[in-house]
Amino acid sequence: MQLTEQIRINAPREAVFAALNDVDILRQAIPGCEAIDAVSPTEMTATVSAKVGPLKARFSGQVTLADLVPPESYTLSGEGKGGPAGHVRVSSRVKLTADGAATLLDYDVKADIGGKLAQLGGAIVEKTARKLAGEFFASFNALVGVPESAAEAPPAATPAPVETSASHGHGHGGEHLPWVLGGALAVLVIVWLTR
Amino acid sequence: MAATPQDMLGARLPRKEDLRLVTGTGKYLADILLPGMLHAVFVRSEYAHARIRGIDTSEALALHGVVAVYTGIDFKDTVKPMPQPVVQPNLPARYPTFWPLAIDKVKHHGEPVALVIARDKYVAVDAAELVVVDYEELTPVLDPERALEDGSPLVHEEDGSNEIFAMTLTGGLTEEEQQRNADAVERIFQGADIVVKERFRVHRTGITPMEPRGVLCDWNDADGLTAWITTQRPHIDRLALIDLLDIPGEQVRVIAPRDQGGGFGVKAPFYRENLAIAYAARALKRPVRWIESRYESLMNVGQERDQVNYLEVAARKDGKLLALRNRGVADNGVGTTGVYWGFVMPFLGAVEMPNAYTWEAGDVRLRVATTNKASLTPSRAFGHFPTRFAIERAVDMVARRVGMEPSALRRMNLVPSLPYTSVTNEYYDSGDFLRVWDNLMAQVDLPAFRAEQAAARAAGRYLGIGFGCGVELSGVASELLVPMENQPGYGAATVRLDPRGKVLVFGGDAPGGQGHETTTAQVVASLFGIQASDVVVTTGDTGTTPFGSGSIGARAGSYFVSAVAEACGELKDKITRILAHDLQIEASVQHFEFKNGEVVYLGDRSKRKSFRDAVERIIMFPINMPEGEVGGLEYTAFFEAAKPMICFNADCCIVEVNVDTGDFEIRRWVTSEDVGTVINPNIVDGQMHGAIVQGLSNAMFEEFVYDERGQQMSADFEHYKLATAADVPDIEITYATTPCPHTPLGTRGIGEGRPSSVPGALTNAVCDALAPFGIEIAELPLRPNLVWRKLREARGEG
Repeated sequence: MQLTEQIRINAPREAVFAALNDVDILRQAIPGCEAIDAVSPTEMTATVSAKVGPLKARFSGQVTLADLVPPESYTLSGEGKGGPAGHVRVSSRVKLTADGAATLLDYDVKADIGGKLAQLGGAIVEKTARKLAGEFFASFNALVGVPESAAEAPPAATPAPVETSASHGHGHGGEHLPWVLGGALAVLVIVWLTR
Repeated sequence: MAATPQDMLGARLPRKEDLRLVTGTGKYLADILLPGMLHAVFVRSEYAHARIRGIDTSEALALHGVVAVYTGIDFKDTVKPMPQPVVQPNLPARYPTFWPLAIDKVKHHGEPVALVIARDKYVAVDAAELVVVDYEELTPVLDPERALEDGSPLVHEEDGSNEIFAMTLTGGLTEEEQQRNADAVERIFQGADIVVKERFRVHRTGITPMEPRGVLCDWNDADGLTAWITTQRPHIDRLALIDLLDIPGEQVRVIAPRDQGGGFGVKAPFYRENLAIAYAARALKRPVRWIESRYESLMNVGQERDQVNYLEVAARKDGKLLALRNRGVADNGVGTTGVYWGFVMPFLGAVEMPNAYTWEAGDVRLRVATTNKASLTPSRAFGHFPTRFAIERAVDMVARRVGMEPSALRRMNLVPSLPYTSVTNEYYDSGDFLRVWDNLMAQVDLPAFRAEQAAARAAGRYLGIGFGCGVELSGVASELLVPMENQPGYGAATVRLDPRGKVLVFGGDAPGGQGHETTTAQVVASLFGIQASDVVVTTGDTGTTPFGSGSIGARAGSYFVSAVAEACGELKDKITRILAHDLQIEASVQHFEFKNGEVVYLGDRSKRKSFRDAVERIIMFPINMPEGEVGGLEYTAFFEAAKPMICFNADCCIVEVNVDTGDFEIRRWVTSEDVGTVINPNIVDGQMHGAIVQGLSNAMFEEFVYDERGQQMSADFEHYKLATAADVPDIEITYATTPCPHTPLGTRGIGEGRPSSVPGALTNAVCDALAPFGIEIAELPLRPNLVWRKLREARGEG
């Protein structure tokens, strides 16, 4: 399962990178986040609860960062367990590019989902992933971004190399998103991405 | 009741079972409640292949209402591991060792890892979610062909290989004989006008009984274990529980509930879950019940087919089939089920590969690979769904190559007279294949169809006609069942007459909705000249019934009713002996007629007695008896035919294919059946309808899907699509029967293997429609997207 996407955030690159490392901001932005802790400069743990279709689960995840090039890029890998709901394993690359006063955040994710979550199937999972990602980036932009008309700007959609378009925040944008991400995965990815 | 007793054999009687079933008064396993009953839930693996680093049950145990939580190690020293002889075929194989719950390693998604027992199901489900299993994921083995290559990860490491079973089914028992045979086959191929060679792939699909599995076990120290199990073979389950739990035999009774929502093979294996529940009931001295969820069921059972066949057929240019050579590779799954182990079905499928055709020679080999998927479990059309698809498709390919009508080529190559022994050594006892075939062709005006097809093509519409046929086992003789499943094949029935003139029949098999109460009652009624409503049939209780190997392999119409008939015959002998004595005449059974509730002396019709009075006299008033006779009227008969028996069917299908979308519609489905003497046409029609719908649903819709990590992705009916009424055509069933000479009533066992000729006939029709494009389809499922892809390839758009 793979996903590539680009998000536009209304803040300078350094601010975005710093915010992605700020557990207080992340705790506020991640939907259902119950705990998030930096174990070391390159490791963190998080607990997030989410409801995906009929499954309500609390996920515990841990993430390791590597190849850190502030404020440009990093890679991450992680694993999350949702008890009876299933599990996910993720690897991702994140890149930040200045776009005037704003920042373009590119990421690609490879994820393996297992257990009941995997079996829910595309329709439910996709809907949840879309909703959670939307909520996260809306909150993140509100917390980090410049609070003026930029927030009303249309999404900066950039076709990505894989099977993807882009979208961000503000409710249910991204009607063309080919989300293939599991709902829980979305939560975890957000956790990890935004480290 | 319209039918008189004399017409009872062959009467379209409404089923005795249906009143209770359609009024909601059937009694299934889940309807049985015992005081103090506990409820069980299994924790199942979420990985296809992983090492278990640890299991933490403390939180689950702490939940109020939880009585016990078991993990694999609890069983390791207290329950014998499988394999054990009682559930092991007499076939050489690498039988994996396993216990009721996984120990050290999980080997498929859905494997039971822990067992939670609680005061109610809700608590049990909650507690199961609190069991924490620490897994270390391992590389899963998912492709059967790659599983057999050197260096593949191993499913069962102690076996040193993923090849659970391999066999050469032709040429003889020694490698030398087999090689000589292979050389002879090769010579035929060298000299043949036509050779068709193809890789045929059939997906993983099977059967989904309406009622999933379940078990309720009750233990007390005085009587031991009583186990109610949704099962097709209670007597085998009983022996397995005795042997594996080391309980004295007199202390185990297994009862298959009278009403079961279908079996179709899924309820034939001995399952580890049943063993775990019996163990828990004994340990806790409380009744414990487990009812399988649909999710668990689709994760674990009903998965079959899943096979690659590299098939070559040699033929002459006049259409004569000469030789077949097949290399089959089957995906066994994990192999941890008793009796079948996954590979017994592909074994029989390979045996049945030659089908109803004459071959000069054959070289048929099979390899079966364990993988990190659920075990194959028996699913109606036991084993031969994939091999029959391959052979029926290959026959059509030969016909196309030699420019013959596929139906004419089939007729030319059908075994012309029986008995016959196939190149894989399968014995075909009786029947008339040509008569069945000619009856089928009489239902179809082939020249008119070809004219319609040509006209339609000219108008841009694509019609096609397809044929298929199938030899099916009619019961399984001991000769085959002892090696294949280590069980006897005979049928057994106890017939007990009641002083009020009623008849009680006891059978050790355990039907799941096939209407055996009705067919058995009709047989008894016809023999005693009474009404079917006078007969009560009890099945499935090892405490009251004679030993039977189970409701499998079409045993009812062949073996069970034959045992019933023989028992009735013995009792009629006795009744007439004593009646002749009372009437002071010299006469035996052939001088009497059992008719309309009376026993009539044919030599003087005024000498008669009501059936009830004749029976009551012997049971209740055994005085003034003939010398050497004692009272009582009960007899247990065991029936075994000298040789295996078969039945035979043929299908014709007409389709229209939309060449723009790949969609296709079945416009007609007509069959011809040799089912032997028909006891109840309603029930036989129903078996055929059900089997054909199953074949279509398997071929077009159903598919168990595993992702690249072995995650089972089709564990609900949203993702495992079944055919609905709107998806299937009207089915025209026609008959061309021959009585079986080896059963007392001429009956044959039917319905079990029947789906297997369906996918070939259907795909042949689609390929006939697409003949202008030169499309030959060699894989299932057959869906519009596959047809569309083939069309694009054929048009050079692929």
